[in-house]
Amino acid sequence: MKKNLKYSLILLSICAISTALLALTNAITAPVIERQGQASRLAGLEAVSMGYEAGAQKVVTDDPAVTFMIELKDDRRTAGYILGLKGAGYGGEMTLVASYNTAGEILRVQLLSHNETPGLGKKAENEGYMDKFEGTGAAQAVPTNKSMLNSEDAAAVSGSTVTFVAIGKALEAGSRYVIGLGGK
Amino acid sequence: MNIKELTKGIFKENPVFIIVLGLCPVLGVSTQVSNAIGMSAGVLFVLLFSNIIISALRNIIPDSIHIPAYIVIIASLVTIIEMLMHAFAPAVYAALGVYLPLIVVNCIILGRAEAFASSNTVLDSALDAIGMSIGFALSLTLIALIREVLGAGTITLFPVGSFSGVIEVPWLVDNPFKVMALAPGALLLMGFLKAFFDWKAMRKAG
Repeated sequence: MKKNLKYSLILLSICAISTALLALTNAITAPVIERQGQASRLAGLEAVSMGYEAGAQKVVTDDPAVTFMIELKDDRRTAGYILGLKGAGYGGEMTLVASYNTAGEILRVQLLSHNETPGLGKKAENEGYMDKFEGTGAAQAVPTNKSMLNSEDAAAVSGSTVTFVAIGKALEAGSRYVIGLGGK
Repeated sequence: MNIKELTKGIFKENPVFIIVLGLCPVLGVSTQVSNAIGMSAGVLFVLLFSNIIISALRNIIPDSIHIPAYIVIIASLVTIIEMLMHAFAPAVYAALGVYLPLIVVNCIILGRAEAFASSNTVLDSALDAIGMSIGFALSLTLIALIREVLGAGTITLFPVGSFSGVIEVPWLVDNPFKVMALAPGALLLMGFLKAFFDWKAMRKAG
């Protein structure tokens, strides 16, 4: 009994000291992490806003691929939307922001976070990668498989099909969501 | 102070190629040189402090509760390095992904705590941790360097000033051996390197 109590106290002391150290580290790092998250989100939104005035952010819960929505205004008229999107890449969840016009056409896409393989899926970070998606979503379908791409683009995504499909499907879901809003 | 405790981990008892410990993160994060350096820094921090703390507490922690005590110490250190990397090295934090929290169950950390720190002095345990971490870092960086050069045609370091951090290898950047960037490439390379180190060890032994 006495031995068990002693062992419990030793473990309790180790846990208490560990907790105190973790709390101290969290107090130092949490504000820095919060600032970084905001800065990265703001930079992403700015890159896709196309010069329109962005409204307030609304959380979206009724679509598994869409996380948030921001209305874009052009002189009080709704010009389009920015959507926060997520997709399942080769290395796990990928997050994107994309702007759409009211007809669901993709205007700009920005990759925010991913864990894709260097040399393969990581190419999605490259300048020009999103060109194949921009302009699609309304008159032209969002490419979600390689057969919908021209030979040059198909060769560029070779070896990273999972990443390409994940981005395409997330953007397609965003386009559908915007069309569902009916230009409101 | 026994300097052998420092040097043994680098070649003679190299944790990756000789003791074959911690292979999961070695295969998982060795896609880029910068990931290997970040992971090595994480392992050095956790291994050094866990060895020091466990060695200092070796006469206080009874045998029957040593595993939960070690796990609490190691998990706390890993969470601390995870929070620090998230705040101050976000690119490395994002690249390491799940492998960073998995340092908790890296066999090198618990293995050295059990096999060395729990029965040796603080100084020797610190030297053992530094030696093992250097051995781990060299092995991981070697694998990452070969995989990234062949699999992507690049060497990714950290951006400094006008240097973007990425060195492109002529020809290979346009014609990479893509299998090297994937899991089969990691396993193939690990097999070849292990065979090479075994061959060297056998030659030395005569």
